[in-house]
Amino acid sequence: MHLKVALPMVLLTLAAAALAGVFPYRYASHTLANGLTVILVPMPAEGLVAYYSIVRTGSRDEVEPGRSGFAHFFEHMMFRGTERVPAGEYDRLVTAMGANANAYTTDDYTCYHLSFAAKDLPRVVELEADRFQNLAYSQQDFQTEAGAVYGEYRKGRTNPFEVLEEALRDTAFEVHTYKHTTIGFEADIAAMPGMLDYSRSFFTRHYRPDNVVILITGELDPAATLALVRKHYEGWQPGYRPPQVPAEPQQRAPRRVQVPYQGRTLPLLAVTWKAPAFDPADVEVAAGLALGELLAGPTSSLYRELVLHRRTVQRLLGQFEAQRDPGLWGVIAQVAGDEHLEEVEAAIIDAIAEVQDHAPPEEQLQAIKRHLRYSFLMSLETPDRLAGELARTVALTGGVEAVDTFFATLERVTPAAVQRLAAARLRPERSTVAVLKGVE
Amino acid sequence: MRLLAAAAFALLLASCAGTRSAAPPARPVANAPVLLPVPSDPTVSFSLSFPAGSQMDPPGKEGLAYLTATLMAEGATARNSYAAILEQLYPMAAGYQVRVDVEQVTFTGRVHRDNLTAFTDLLLDAILRPAFAADDLERLRQRALAHLTRTLRYSSDEELGKAALYTAVFAGTPYGHLPVGTVAGLKAISVNDVQRFYRTHYTRNTVTLGLGGGFDDGLPRRLLAALAQLPAGAPPLPPPPAVSLRGRQVVIVAKPGPATAISFGFPIRVRRGQDDFYPLWVANSWFGEHRHSSSHLYQVIREARGLNYGDYSYIEHFPEAGWRTMPPVNVPRRQQLFEVWIRPVPNTAAHFALRAAVRELEKLVAEGLDENAFALTRDFLASYSLHYADTTATRLGYAVDDRFYGIAPPGHLVRFRQRLATMTREEVNAAVGRHLNPQHMVIAIVTERAGELAAALASEADSPITYDTPKPPQVLAEDALIARHPLRIPRERIRIVPVDELFER
Repeated sequence: MHLKVALPMVLLTLAAAALAGVFPYRYASHTLANGLTVILVPMPAEGLVAYYSIVRTGSRDEVEPGRSGFAHFFEHMMFRGTERVPAGEYDRLVTAMGANANAYTTDDYTCYHLSFAAKDLPRVVELEADRFQNLAYSQQDFQTEAGAVYGEYRKGRTNPFEVLEEALRDTAFEVHTYKHTTIGFEADIAAMPGMLDYSRSFFTRHYRPDNVVILITGELDPAATLALVRKHYEGWQPGYRPPQVPAEPQQRAPRRVQVPYQGRTLPLLAVTWKAPAFDPADVEVAAGLALGELLAGPTSSLYRELVLHRRTVQRLLGQFEAQRDPGLWGVIAQVAGDEHLEEVEAAIIDAIAEVQDHAPPEEQLQAIKRHLRYSFLMSLETPDRLAGELARTVALTGGVEAVDTFFATLERVTPAAVQRLAAARLRPERSTVAVLKGVE
Repeated sequence: MRLLAAAAFALLLASCAGTRSAAPPARPVANAPVLLPVPSDPTVSFSLSFPAGSQMDPPGKEGLAYLTATLMAEGATARNSYAAILEQLYPMAAGYQVRVDVEQVTFTGRVHRDNLTAFTDLLLDAILRPAFAADDLERLRQRALAHLTRTLRYSSDEELGKAALYTAVFAGTPYGHLPVGTVAGLKAISVNDVQRFYRTHYTRNTVTLGLGGGFDDGLPRRLLAALAQLPAGAPPLPPPPAVSLRGRQVVIVAKPGPATAISFGFPIRVRRGQDDFYPLWVANSWFGEHRHSSSHLYQVIREARGLNYGDYSYIEHFPEAGWRTMPPVNVPRRQQLFEVWIRPVPNTAAHFALRAAVRELEKLVAEGLDENAFALTRDFLASYSLHYADTTATRLGYAVDDRFYGIAPPGHLVRFRQRLATMTREEVNAAVGRHLNPQHMVIAIVTERAGELAAALASEADSPITYDTPKPPQVLAEDALIARHPLRIPRERIRIVPVDELFER
């Protein structure tokens, strides 16, 4: 058992947080004999608890051809019940306790979460342990749920950002599974109703204790909660076998894709580069996050010039978070009209050249660091928000320690490190540009 | 890289510097502040609301309330350019936003108390000394126009369907245009219009200050003293819109797309704080709790048939439903709709899905909830409603909305939970009978098969559904009933509108 001591958030100022480590709560982390990791974060919460089951499998793990979207589809199936607690009964029990329950899937993990009154914790542990070990569904349930997933895909087709993302990934990656979005290729979604057997093997391979982290936050007694978890989960048999996710070969030439969108939407421009994998101790990863703020944040020169001054961009977004495997970093602009696309792209390229040629001012970097720390501290208000904020770090690293490691690494980022990173990573031959335009 | 975050990109931020240290004002702010101290909270939440919503737009200047408020929240002040404001807010990871609805305009913000003084200075400057600079007006006008003509018309059929419903139901009333305005109205607005609107509607007689979190007594005193510098005045509100629908009418928005989005609804004569609202809330929760699998509509259309991603109903305005799981605050309205939201279905299933939803609503009205459904929903809401306001900022939002509705402390959510303890199934079903009448409604449909669907609706043609996969016999038996369920909509009450004509004026 690892026990970390930190000040309660209410006493923290940013200066204190910098000294004590950013993560403001005590927490306990324990690994059961079957490999299941349990992280408990007690906090004052007006009687509420959040319960997150984080499966360290996402769409990156969909390595077999024709099986894209399966991690997400399986997230849906996890609500279809067990022999002991059929789907209707699960819904009835969760409804009766007034829990806020849902799930989501990303490239790198799948997360099932409930927020509820602390008195219901024993029942929730029992229910969640049951469905993670004993899921059972009929062919009809399976096929009906495939229809709902197709409906989710259709909904996304009227969102130009989703259409852009699909084409961007397909272009940027050759073999790595980041090539497809989390919801998957449409042809694979259409074929899902015929994959019942595969779905069962997916459950058997990925839903194993040694691939899952249980994160519980809120008003809880750590020892009693751990005993509950142990009681209900320790019979779960390990056996997770990580899939062999193909490594993406080095990109050696710029790529570009034009994406048609049905309807007169505003054009979108994504200028992206291959990024490093997440490592909280890697200065390059932390510098990347700062670089994203520097290039596309609300105080960036691009934002001032394109959004406020020229008004050629309506929204500007930097995406510089690292993923489990090397993914994409990028700047995305919602452009005010097709006629501005060329100018906006040139401005983005110029802004990158500026960082490559000149290290950013120390003062600006300090403002970015303060912004990132305060953003994190202010996001931890409730058990659900705390767990939601931690879920990605837990999924990528298996624990909470990476939070403090990352912020300590961020402190070591210098203007020169940002400049070096821009020069090394944001190179034309590693870039993929996607341009979405509306068509009649 | 997650581009989806971009789709939900927050609209707003803003504001500016130092407060005046003027002599004590001769007349104070009229409304008592809403204070929610939480000493253990390391942050402070702010709320400043004004009855300056889009219902106050002058005819021909639809969008004036929106542009005035967004210029305050996202524009320069007399002391700072907007870029300079952002520079100051950024290191605090703080900001303020504005929500413009038909009745209220509410500025909200939240800051770690390390940065309280600097943030308060910026917020007050935005409220008291907006510059209304011409270039800011052009920037925000262009954004609003793009929102109507590009985003709403072409980038989210679900939001488009709901917007088409609201504008059709309330046509000809002060609620009849979207809070963002209309294309013609936005184009007609000048800086002078904005300045005049600001002077008239942002007054010390109408402002309501709200504070939550870890503040001390000095903060409300300081804010009230500063807000007392606003001019006097309290423009009269228009009466709530009187809408009386007769029968069913359909608006079909014709636009290309792979699926069909459907919303329908009608005005209800009950609102938050009134006795019948609470049992009607229970009925609505059972019928269509937002983004929850307990929703009966969800069970019928998605869970049993897999036709779409979800199906919900509402008795209060619920903007941004596509990316919000809990109800919003600061959108209070004197006139509410009962509304059903059917997420996109395959074009071939549109008629069937509409029939299924209308049929279920008719069954709710005819049969009411049974005892099991009532008890389960009552117990569900007693706990689930705790999630509606789980942060200081949200609790503050509810408290400010209580002021609008005239609900005394301990407030709406507590009152609801107290009422649940004694509520009976008979009360719930009686409220349904008094307030839900599905014979009179507007149906808004977004589809590329406009003509075909209009003809099918008018002819009451059967709309059998086929599935790619087997379904249980009871589902198939019910499908046969749904497929010929009468909707009773004559062709002359079905209007097809090209998407580019929506929101023009």
